[in-house]
Amino acid sequence: MSYIFPIGGGKGGIGKTFIASNIGAIFAKQGKTVVLVDLDLGGSNLHTFFGINGVNTGLHNFLNKSQTNLSRVVESTGIPNLSIISSMNCSIEIPNLFHAQKLKIIKAIQNLPFDIVILDLGAGTNSNILDFFLCSDEGIFVVTPEPTSIENAFRFVQGAYFRRLKQLLKQHDFNAAIKEVNRTSDDIMVKSPDVIEKISEHDPEQGKKLQEKLAEFNFKFILNLLQKQNDEKLGEKIEKVCNRHFYSNFQFLGNIRYDPRVYDSILSKQIYVDKYAYTPTSTDLQNIVKTWQGVNTIESYPDQKAYEKI
Amino acid sequence: MKKFESQTYYEILDIPVQATPFEIRQAYKSALAIYNEDSLATYSFFSELERQEVLKRIEEAFLILTDQDKRADYDRQLIHDGKIAAAAVEKKEKKKAVPLFQTKNVVEKNALFKRIQDRIRETDVKGIAEGMLSKDLISGSDLRNLRESVGIGIEEIYEVTRITASTLKAIEQDEYDKLPTAIYLKNFLKSYAEILQVDSEKIIAGYMKNLSQNTPS
Ligand SMILES: Nc1ncnc2c1ncn2[C@@H]1O[C@H](COP(=O)(O)OP(=O)(O)OP(=O)(O)O)[C@@H](O)[C@H]1O
Ligand SMILES: [Mg+2]
Repeated sequence: MSYIFPIGGGKGGIGKTFIASNIGAIFAKQGKTVVLVDLDLGGSNLHTFFGINGVNTGLHNFLNKSQTNLSRVVESTGIPNLSIISSMNCSIEIPNLFHAQKLKIIKAIQNLPFDIVILDLGAGTNSNILDFFLCSDEGIFVVTPEPTSIENAFRFVQGAYFRRLKQLLKQHDFNAAIKEVNRTSDDIMVKSPDVIEKISEHDPEQGKKLQEKLAEFNFKFILNLLQKQNDEKLGEKIEKVCNRHFYSNFQFLGNIRYDPRVYDSILSKQIYVDKYAYTPTSTDLQNIVKTWQGVNTIESYPDQKAYEKI
Repeated sequence: MKKFESQTYYEILDIPVQATPFEIRQAYKSALAIYNEDSLATYSFFSELERQEVLKRIEEAFLILTDQDKRADYDRQLIHDGKIAAAAVEKKEKKKAVPLFQTKNVVEKNALFKRIQDRIRETDVKGIAEGMLSKDLISGSDLRNLRESVGIGIEEIYEVTRITASTLKAIEQDEYDKLPTAIYLKNFLKSYAEILQVDSEKIIAGYMKNLSQNTPS
């Protein structure tokens, strides 16, 4: 069983792929085996951060059934221990992915034989993206210090949170409680944030159980593209707000400062943390990995049941 | 989502039940920084109506918790509702009973007070004290002057107030960069003035004014 990190965030162009690729490189350098999975079908560009412009195998082989084992479609990134599953040859776009295909991908991802699996998600909050985000017990969202990005991040978090809630309501024995609540109000399943309170009112024990289940999911987040004029404490404030208003856990992993050389590293086809190893931005990336490792020790893998079956 | 309304004022301000008035004020400020309408941290998180509700609750929390009597009533209600343990509040009472500068020994303090009183009667410090109090600005050397004419040492003040010698020296020598934050400084000045038996309010006002004119804000 591996650690799975989905990286999302709602908005496009906020550095999800940049962060996925560089964090992958840092873990690989620590000696962990890492695979990056490009799940931005239709907007695939993870390969670009490694200077790869063509692959022989990729997710398309798995989707068109020419390869049934997902671990056989990985390609090398040129960095030791770091592999990639590219979707550059996928003709399908993510909103059009069939339900069965999605479940198949998730199941295969959960069984990949790597220490760390990083999922690079596309922009948006459609149900397929949210399901990928929820396929382990933690997900990372990226946000930048701009109103538009923050707005999209909150929509993303709310979307993921309610989807998680709906999954839970389906999975566990909440049926009776839901029925009871439904008798008194309608549209409860769809998007009412009050569903937990309502259930708690009718059946405190079930309500508590539901809260505990929601608390098992960990939202982690990164503030990217930070510049001098920005509030350094913004991440901590967002963490506070989210922990106060959601039942899930939120952890701020750290800031990543803006560096114009990120652009150069892509042009030169070399991963940023290697090409510019001693810049403030590289330090930020290293620190984020450390912060993450501070709460989980990579060596002790979570057991099977930590992952909810979809 | 978790309902704000069902949270206690302590939860709303994110402070322990034993929080001091100072901590409450700080927590109130940081809550406003997060929830006010131009805060990026909650941008689009709430509807305008929800935000108003939240801000109203924060305001309420602040007003109740900084009013000693209202806070005591509120705590009693929370204990009655089983939302906090009575022991938590008791701890607070105990904490409150301990003054900022723990007197090592009341007898000793009284003895020192008496000694100072005698000296004030013997020497002509009254004139010096009055001269100082009539001034608009009071500096550290004015304070030292008074202390020395009364004839008590810094260590004696330390004995009673537990203000460290280095802080006392910083106060007396106007070493502004070594002074504690305003709220502590005012408390120190108050104790200092009380020992020398001069009007503490005037001392604080004069010292703070002198300080603000000599430090870039
Ligand atoms: N910290 C940074 N400093 C400077 N440039 C950055 C930084 N992070 C990301 N960028 C740049 O921002 C651009 C967008 O980054 P990236 O492709 O990783 O975003 P994305 O969120 O994956 O976008 P999409 O949703 O389109 O996949 C890239 O050109 C990248 O080089
Ligand atoms: Mg991307």
